[in-house]
Amino acid sequence: VLLMGKSGSGKTSMRSIIFANYIARDTRRLGATIDVEHSHVRFLGNLVLNLWDCGGQDTFIENYFTSQRDNIFRNVEVLIYVFDVESRELEKDMHYYQSCLEAILQNSPDAKIFCLVHKMDLVQEDQRDLIFKEREEDLKRLSRPLECACFRTSIWDETLYKAWSSIVYQLIPNVQQLEMNLRNFAQIIADEVLLFERATFLVISHYQCKEQRDIHRFEKISNIIKQFKLSCSKLAASFQSMEVRNSNFAAFIDIFTSNTYVMVIMSDPSSAATLINIRNARKHFEKLERVDGPKHSLLMR
Amino acid sequence: RPHLLIVSRIGVSSPSSHRPFHVEPTNIVSVNDDMQRVTDEAAAMNKRIHYYSRLTSPSDRALMAPDHVLPALEEIYVYSPLGTAFKVDGCTDGYGKNSSLVTIFMIWNTMLGTSILSIPWGIKQAGFTTGIVIILLMGILTLYCCYRVLKSRTMIPLIDTSSWEFPDVCKYYFGAFGQWSSLLFSMVSLIGAMVVYWVLMSNFLFNTGKFIYNYVHNINVTDIVSGTNDSNRVICPGDASEEQPGNKSMLFLSANDTGFELFEEWWNKSQTVPLYLIVVLLPLLNLKSPSFFAKFNVLGTISVIYLVLLVTFKAVRLGFHLEFAWFTLDEFFVPEFRLSFPQLTGVLTLAFFIHNCVITLLKNNKKQENNVRDLSIAFFLVGLTYLYVVVLIFAAFPSPPLSKECIEQNFLDNFPSNDVMAFIARMFLLFQMMTVYPLLGYLARVQLLGHIFGNVYPSIFHVLGLNIAIVGLGVTIARFYPNIGGIIRYSGATCGLAFVFVYPSLIYMVSQYRAGQLTWLGLTVHVFIILLGVVNLIAQFLM
Repeated sequence: VLLMGKSGSGKTSMRSIIFANYIARDTRRLGATIDVEHSHVRFLGNLVLNLWDCGGQDTFIENYFTSQRDNIFRNVEVLIYVFDVESRELEKDMHYYQSCLEAILQNSPDAKIFCLVHKMDLVQEDQRDLIFKEREEDLKRLSRPLECACFRTSIWDETLYKAWSSIVYQLIPNVQQLEMNLRNFAQIIADEVLLFERATFLVISHYQCKEQRDIHRFEKISNIIKQFKLSCSKLAASFQSMEVRNSNFAAFIDIFTSNTYVMVIMSDPSSAATLINIRNARKHFEKLERVDGPKHSLLMR
Repeated sequence: RPHLLIVSRIGVSSPSSHRPFHVEPTNIVSVNDDMQRVTDEAAAMNKRIHYYSRLTSPSDRALMAPDHVLPALEEIYVYSPLGTAFKVDGCTDGYGKNSSLVTIFMIWNTMLGTSILSIPWGIKQAGFTTGIVIILLMGILTLYCCYRVLKSRTMIPLIDTSSWEFPDVCKYYFGAFGQWSSLLFSMVSLIGAMVVYWVLMSNFLFNTGKFIYNYVHNINVTDIVSGTNDSNRVICPGDASEEQPGNKSMLFLSANDTGFELFEEWWNKSQTVPLYLIVVLLPLLNLKSPSFFAKFNVLGTISVIYLVLLVTFKAVRLGFHLEFAWFTLDEFFVPEFRLSFPQLTGVLTLAFFIHNCVITLLKNNKKQENNVRDLSIAFFLVGLTYLYVVVLIFAAFPSPPLSKECIEQNFLDNFPSNDVMAFIARMFLLFQMMTVYPLLGYLARVQLLGHIFGNVYPSIFHVLGLNIAIVGLGVTIARFYPNIGGIIRYSGATCGLAFVFVYPSLIYMVSQYRAGQLTWLGLTVHVFIILLGVVNLIAQFLM
């Protein structure tokens, strides 16, 4: 997964937030990241996230582009390009974007392209839709013949989480079948069942049997669990599962398949069979994931 | 939300110097809690900020919430029915920042207000000595009940009540009945205050206009209303004919005859001036947020201080005229004990009223253990101020020519409209009331509409309807019954019944009973207090 964008567009913060990476860094960056930042996070099986700054000193980057291009743009499954909505150099941004697309077209033509118009909180609320629509049109036009999906994001509201959830949803192999099975599973045992991606705790799929009041609950749970994971890692422990109970409900969060976590919420806390049910369901779901073996192994290259 | 205050309830404390942002833990047990204090967005933002703060070191500002993404702080308003209303600093992370002195001043400032104008009349109705004794006793009684209000919140076991106000406590003990009845009584106090304000504003506007007209046209008016005949003229408006006091005046003038008569016709204290106020105030009532008016809070303090100075000055000029006759009726003096003393207790119930917001005012006290001490000092100072004003006015009222019976329900009415000091006082008070009136209207609207429709601004028609009703009530009463002493004592005794006498005592008894600690002494004393409140209310109608 290639996360690209101009220097200062918010990629490092975004990565840190989505993947719960602790960033220890200087507040004054002395220059653009001149190398591709490899992250050690694997997600969705064998995807690796690479972060790369685009832009800065023009000639330097141009040279870099030409000499290192093939290395960077080979084996790319997903390109996520981040635009700073406040940028004053729209022409240049689009130019770099197009260069990247050319490289993608040559080296990984099957890659999925996502464009994030970021830092939308700096735009006045009543103008956000308008500005985003303009950018989206431009980007779609510039991207041809490739297709890109655009999202508007900000780390200060739920849009970042939703955008990445959509991206991850499109990357899960076999996702519709997964959802159907999840529904069957959930209807038997629970009030609500959530399926999370393992590294980012982005909600891939969910089932609920009745209307829930809080629409922000997915992101909240994700943030809580990631915060907990950070605490665990400080103690060199790794988070595996969690059970929360009181007189009104019981919730279980547990490893599910190799790529996912599951959260099961029941308003009848007395059921003891839940863990057993989850364990049994796990085997079934893992089989589902392995079924599409060939497609999955594309990621291994 | 607590219906006497608008609450600011959202945030998380950030490690930097950024705006502190604090969320109280949401109660996940009662899902259908209609006292939802935290919006879902605020709770989500809270979790986000907590999480982001773990991702970097505290000095890294990249993941620190900028001010423009934090939800806007809602405003907390604190008011006393006839005192001031003002905005309180809403955001605290559990700790108050005000020193004792500031807290005492805030309480004193909130309590003191327009009731100071009626207390001299109240003393006159009760008799001088009896009146003084009643002021002291009522001060102590209301202070004790205030103490009970304070303690009522802390006696609730197992629940985090740190953000509760007194109506929340009532709801906890008495359920929906407690909630609705406390809403009703606080509406009585608010609407009563707004009516009093309208009557007073009409009065002050009338006198101000008259003063300016006479000054501009150089008219020398000699009212035929009886009064003293020196430079510190004090009049007895009630002594005139059967008609409305102070309205008609015979005049000896050199200027245009008909002009003055026209002025008198169009500038009439009870017929026309109350209507002119509508033009100014009704639009202001419809504003969505009155925070602009909260800035004028300092006017209230200045008005009170000026009144004290005015009273001192007049007393020095007029000298003392006191005579003590116990039960006999005298032509110029009133007996020391009169059967109409409940009228004073009614007025004092509202004069010492702060029970609806004392919890919030004391929450910002830095040293919480001094709360009771600071509250007592504040009450003492308020009582002292009232006593000072009352004694001076009563004693200095020129009794050989005029009877003490002349003391008006608004003591400024005892000064003619061309008295400069009184003119300044009236102008100050007029302006101050015009800035507090929209605030009171806003609080009434928020409580009433918030509880009935669940939305503090359902539509312009709802709000306009409510405002027209309130203003209409004010205009009607200013027209037909402009006796502010009467209005104060009726509304005071009514809302005082609930918030001063009944609820604090009842809650104390119930909580002690539940804890198994109710003693016979406690029971007797508090039942007695409740009876006092009931008798207070009934006596208003009888005496």
